[in-house]
Amino acid sequence: MASRSVRKRCAVAAVAAAAVAAAVLSLLPAGAQPAAEPGEPAAKPIPRNADGTVSFAGTKDDVGNWEGPPGTSLANNVSADALAPNRLNLPTNLSVADVPFQPWARELYDQRQATFTKDDPHTRCKPSGGARLFHTPYGFEILQLADAQEIMFLPVGSPHSWRVVHMDGRALPENPAPSWYGMSVGRWEGDTLVIDTVGFNERFWISREGVPHTAQLRTTERISRPRFEQLRYEITIDDPGAYTKPWSGGWNIPWSAGNEPFDYLCQDNNLDPARMVGPQE
Amino acid sequence: MSRTALIVGTLGSTLMVSAQAHHSFRAQYDAEKPIEVTGYVTKIDWMNPHVYFYIDVVNAQGKTESWAFEMGPPHMLEQRGWKRNSMAIGDELEVSGTRARDGSLSANARTVKLRATGQILGAASSEGQTITQGTTQGAGSGSPPAR
Amino acid sequence: MRHCRVAALLLVAALAGCDRGSDSADAGRPTPRHPDGQVRFDSEPGGRGYWGQASVGSLFEKGVQVAIDENGLLANIADAPRVAPFQPWALALYEHRQRNGLKDDPTRACIAPSGPRHLHTAGGFRIIRDPTYDRMYVLFGGGNRNWRVVFMDGRQPPNPEEVSGTYFGHQAGHWEGDTLVVESSGYNARFWFSNGGLPHTEALRLTERFSRPDFETLKYEVTVDDPLTYTRPWTAEWTVDWVDGGEIAERFCEDHRDDLAQSELGSVGE
Repeated sequence: MASRSVRKRCAVAAVAAAAVAAAVLSLLPAGAQPAAEPGEPAAKPIPRNADGTVSFAGTKDDVGNWEGPPGTSLANNVSADALAPNRLNLPTNLSVADVPFQPWARELYDQRQATFTKDDPHTRCKPSGGARLFHTPYGFEILQLADAQEIMFLPVGSPHSWRVVHMDGRALPENPAPSWYGMSVGRWEGDTLVIDTVGFNERFWISREGVPHTAQLRTTERISRPRFEQLRYEITIDDPGAYTKPWSGGWNIPWSAGNEPFDYLCQDNNLDPARMVGPQE
Repeated sequence: MSRTALIVGTLGSTLMVSAQAHHSFRAQYDAEKPIEVTGYVTKIDWMNPHVYFYIDVVNAQGKTESWAFEMGPPHMLEQRGWKRNSMAIGDELEVSGTRARDGSLSANARTVKLRATGQILGAASSEGQTITQGTTQGAGSGSPPAR
Repeated sequence: MRHCRVAALLLVAALAGCDRGSDSADAGRPTPRHPDGQVRFDSEPGGRGYWGQASVGSLFEKGVQVAIDENGLLANIADAPRVAPFQPWALALYEHRQRNGLKDDPTRACIAPSGPRHLHTAGGFRIIRDPTYDRMYVLFGGGNRNWRVVFMDGRQPPNPEEVSGTYFGHQAGHWEGDTLVVESSGYNARFWFSNGGLPHTEALRLTERFSRPDFETLKYEVTVDDPLTYTRPWTAEWTVDWVDGGEIAERFCEDHRDDLAQSELGSVGE
């Protein structure tokens, strides 16, 4: 068995190597085809739709979907007693200390973290907009419906519902009725899908880590596919009720080869709410 | 272990897709409290969002306790070697897992060994743990004999 | 003689027009199609809409005359035996559920109103063709705004002994001319597949037939085959109207589930 100091150096080297790899991946321009290393198989081409836009799906011969990574977060919590920042977080994510929380929002975030996020409405089968869908496990489909001028997100996980992004150039509403998913309009900027959303209610968490939001929240999401197997997701949080200025964060989402949509109903036998007790003193 | 093997192993684990849960593992289970028990199945709830099974375990004092174990959702288990009829009431199991924080006789299962066949199946539903494909020991392989 | 021949030709032409349904002068707008000719169940390019109101409010056997409201409640409990060809235990359960005012309905805990019931659940639905894979999706606006997936690649259902029953079942679809036929099995029994509480078991198999004889009309036919619950297979049918220009509003059963848990329903919900 290697000595403790050798194991420590090796572990540091491994984490550093993974971080460098993640940074390189995130810096690839959307739509680029990364060159294969000598001896490695060629990178899979990124499929395109008939209208030339990037396809976020597989192909008839390459079925799969996107597996929301549960351990990711919009902000990197690097405090001594926190879980380490997930390796799939974007390298540009802020640390928690740099997130421009309003004081009440920081206090609420700290409370949610201290109780190990036991009160997450998503685990009580509540629909959750914002970034929450993008780290829901079990896979989600992205349907790009050119004829309907819509893009739909279909997650398997709670609440097994569907989110619509309108791609018909409509304006966002001025006074939207609050809803769980908000009202979304999207457009392409090159090979990046940009989605603006307004009209959220306050009954859910916009990400698993529990960063708060209010009904003033407006989001801009940027989704791109730097590699066949990778979706890059970033969201800008613009909520003067909870933050002193807009800020952004996100993560990379891995392709789940062969995964297909399946039946899942959170309400079937959900024992989690009573069992998620958080830290016990 | 050689330095090279440790680096490869660490990189490999960082690249493997971790097991998924729709809730915070940490809020419910305590990673500092691993557990291993052997007992007989009394109830199986093969349902979402988590499969639960219950086993009777005789403790060190000779008293029978009823333990509850949580696994992943049915579809994910069925994609990883489980069948709905892999375990039945009365089967003897060896289960390893992580204890619940609330002090109850319950845990998150990591692996389940079916004593009759020796088949070991991964069951993790917790964040940060990789769902194991499981291995089969003993005579033969594949699913337990049909009932 | 010549007039007879002309009349015969006109009759043949009229009958030919009737056979093509949507193209006849008496129908609404023609059935929309994809460029490959397949019937389009969603809106036309650039259009909007969804499937809204069903022509009958509940599920009962075709040809039976019963008074059932849009919640599935019989006006007269004595009509219960005629609703479907029940096994005796199933009739007793159905009558019990009806007499109890449907208060044990699992949708109160936001369990999906699955099977044909979704078409009787307010909120509308859409039928979408996957742009990449051989699948169709049905997206629901009612219940908890769920979706179901229909695999169109000819796959066989899994062994029900080995795979757990689900709320939406294993669904395999194929086309018979302009009719989408969806065969499903592998259901669990933890939901009501009709709003009136018709029972079923895990032996349930459904065959649904969707067609769109004209732009505004969805024709739906379902055959229920559950030998443990019914003495023979039986069929129901109705139509659903297209809501042109409309969009399904975001509504979730979960909007108010916690409130329900506080009410006289007691332990329903958390």
